[in-house]
Amino acid sequence: MNAIAFYLATIIVYGAVDSMACLALNVQFGFAGLSNFGFIIFQAGGAYVAAVLSMGPWQKSNGGFQQYVLGWHLVWPLPWIGAAIFGGLLALPFVFLVGKRLRGDFAAVGLLVSAVLLNQLVNNFVPLFNGAAGISIVPAPFSGTWNPQGLGYQFAYGGVAVVLCVLVYFLLRRMTESPYGRSLRAMRDNDVVADALGKNVRVQRTSMLILGGMIAGLSGAVLVGFINLWAPGAWGYAETIVLFAAIIVGGAGNHKGAVLGALLVPLGFEEVTRFIPPLSNPALVPALEWVAIGLLIIGFLWFRPDGILPERRRILSRWATPSVSVPSSGESDALINLGNLDQMDFRQLLRLEGDASDHGIILASDRLTRAFHGVTVVSEVSIEIQRGRITGLIGPNGAGKSTTLAMLAGTLAPTSGRIFYEGRDITSMPSNERAKSGMIRTFQLASEFKKLTVLENLVSAIPRQSGDSFAGALRGRRYWGREDAENIERASEMLEGFGLTQYADSYAGGLSGGQRRLVEIMRALLAQPTILLLDEPMAGVHPNLAHKIGDQLTRLAASGMTIVMVEHELAIMDAFCDPVIVLAEGRVLAQGTMSELRAKKEVVEAYLVG
Amino acid sequence: MSVFLSSLGFGLISAAVLAIATVGFTMQFAVTNVLNLAYGSVMINSAFVTYYLNYHAHLNAWVAMIGGVFTGAVASYLLNRFVFTPFQRRNLLPITIVIVALGVDLCGTFGLQAIIGGSYFSYKQSLGREIHFWGMYFSTLQLIIMGICVVVLGLIHWLLKYTRLGKAMRATSANPNLARNSGVRTQRVISSTWLISGALCGLAGTVFAMNTGVFDATSAQLYIVLMLAAMFLGGPGSAYGAMIGAVTIGVATELSAGYFNPQYKEVIAFVVLLGMLTFRPYGLFGSEKTN
Repeated sequence: MNAIAFYLATIIVYGAVDSMACLALNVQFGFAGLSNFGFIIFQAGGAYVAAVLSMGPWQKSNGGFQQYVLGWHLVWPLPWIGAAIFGGLLALPFVFLVGKRLRGDFAAVGLLVSAVLLNQLVNNFVPLFNGAAGISIVPAPFSGTWNPQGLGYQFAYGGVAVVLCVLVYFLLRRMTESPYGRSLRAMRDNDVVADALGKNVRVQRTSMLILGGMIAGLSGAVLVGFINLWAPGAWGYAETIVLFAAIIVGGAGNHKGAVLGALLVPLGFEEVTRFIPPLSNPALVPALEWVAIGLLIIGFLWFRPDGILPERRRILSRWATPSVSVPSSGESDALINLGNLDQMDFRQLLRLEGDASDHGIILASDRLTRAFHGVTVVSEVSIEIQRGRITGLIGPNGAGKSTTLAMLAGTLAPTSGRIFYEGRDITSMPSNERAKSGMIRTFQLASEFKKLTVLENLVSAIPRQSGDSFAGALRGRRYWGREDAENIERASEMLEGFGLTQYADSYAGGLSGGQRRLVEIMRALLAQPTILLLDEPMAGVHPNLAHKIGDQLTRLAASGMTIVMVEHELAIMDAFCDPVIVLAEGRVLAQGTMSELRAKKEVVEAYLVG
Repeated sequence: MSVFLSSLGFGLISAAVLAIATVGFTMQFAVTNVLNLAYGSVMINSAFVTYYLNYHAHLNAWVAMIGGVFTGAVASYLLNRFVFTPFQRRNLLPITIVIVALGVDLCGTFGLQAIIGGSYFSYKQSLGREIHFWGMYFSTLQLIIMGICVVVLGLIHWLLKYTRLGKAMRATSANPNLARNSGVRTQRVISSTWLISGALCGLAGTVFAMNTGVFDATSAQLYIVLMLAAMFLGGPGSAYGAMIGAVTIGVATELSAGYFNPQYKEVIAFVVLLGMLTFRPYGLFGSEKTN
């Protein structure tokens, strides 16, 4: 009986440790889209630090048979706190790898390789943590007062581990189910677009790397306090793959899924194989275990890529409505009138209170040039954009329209030349800061956040949300809930204007091409741009609707919003854009109203020839 | 001076093996955009087919090597055809493919271990006479491996530069959609690439095992790190970059082993890889793909 009780206590501790690790990795991978293939080094680092902080100086203790650094002999819970802090610090050297410029799979490979390297270094460099033999006889917390071998102690330890795990669960849930969590998932789905909407992708990734590192470090501390030894063999790079398998099986982007995965994969495998009788080939069972992990990964990714407990779809529209003051009946009738775009007035919705009479220069480029592989795509383009007007950018295919737009928005760095926004040189300003200062762009290719609902897509773009930061998210719904409900209401109003209410809670990735364009336009408007850069916004949109959108843009411009629009459709240009800039072969060919341009021979030729 | 030359000798032989492996690895990345982290497991399985033919079918190791090359080609082709391509058709993120590749690697490596057990193996093969010149020492075996390397890389150069298939490969690598629209039968190009790169993988596995002397199922597990370092140094997807990268990494690791501590000889490869990923992820000579 006693043996079973001890066994149970062990399982509880392991289960809690694995769950904590999987919860942390899931926040990085499932929510923030950060493939941390080096996750195990954070757990290992925490375990080592907790060990050496709780052990005495090495010469005196244990007869000096093992070497290690520190040896501060701290009382619980200081070693555990130290482990969590160390796990967070360990994230800092990897920040460069998760910057926004590196492909996700390259960064993952970098982390994987770092895990291999660190394991080898710790393995070979004995003075640090006693090399390959590892550290042993790590004192359990309070081992002076209580007997760590006692059943009561073991169950108490398991209890503490479970409590910590539950705390981690609620902390992470509080964070992910907030506007900040929405921004994390937006970044996961499309980091370039999240960046263009003003999210600081680098800071978000860094925060998640540090937070995950701290939790991983803590989990390592809990583990080492229980098993009392820690060696490089316990944290090979492949252990990270086991944790990934757990999350893929349980369900990425779902906290309960992470816990379920932890109980099924790392814990399940370790415990089930314990009961397989020894075979003639001692390598067989461990080898088959790894094969099973590999098959689990491939099988689940193919047959059930969302895992056993898939990510939950966030239904915003229902619970949002009651918490907002219901408008008087007359107004609400107007809102219910679906798709009545021409009757909508977005000026108030977008908090637009510009001065319509000011048509000064808001945005200008000076000899802007961009080359790819030595081929100049945009060459010395100097243009001036007037405030409160819709400026059109036209030109044949390959004229450099989209490239110019991308450089203005900061998505693409110019090879040479400068950009001025309200008189300030912003050439080297990152795109997310440009977005925060009011420059919002849309994309030619599909750019919706696929696994965010339509409503979430829209709300995520609204600037200055108090719940859209790590600290704000932790302050809880009481802090940001009312404001978020208002934001959802604003987004819903816009959705009604565009006649897409019935899709409010559908994943944006499932919409038709035209609908996705509308989502993108709505999202860009909700970002409350001072200057809106649209890259072929009407492509794939029904002509009637395109004209209604054009009318709306005209009204917004009349209220002071500046709009730059790349468009192929000359009818749109005729109707809405003034002035129009013609680009051909990367240069500015002409500029003026459409009727002026139609009279120019070189413009007509460029279009006909191009 | 003698430390330098003898280390350089070791470096050249390491570089020869690494070059064969990395060129295959980088070709797969170039044409299908797959970071095939299962490459090492295909290598070691091929090496074991060679071992089987050599030890149990009593073939000369060099003849048995043909079986290893064949295994690498077929296994890589099947891997792409039945694992990577179906996953890629689902339009998943590149990272999903990498995770799948890691899963395949576990299956390949430990599946082999489950069959052959955890013990070590070596080919029935003589190292040949030891030859030394300019202060460098080589066995005949090592000279043959280097000769094979030179011939194979020459063939790859000829393939890429002067054949229709090579041009189609480069076109597919630069822009698959444009290549398809210009009449390149990209599916066939991709299949051919995986067959050829797989043959290189099988060859690399066998010469790796020959050069190491003794090997087990997990011997090539970390070899992928050296290959990644060589590939990123020369620019991912570039066969010539891989050759230059492999020579650099091969020589640099052995030189650092000669001058510092052999235990840390791979550290330089790690440092190179992390440095390249941080500062120049598209290689010393490459530039970012623009699609």
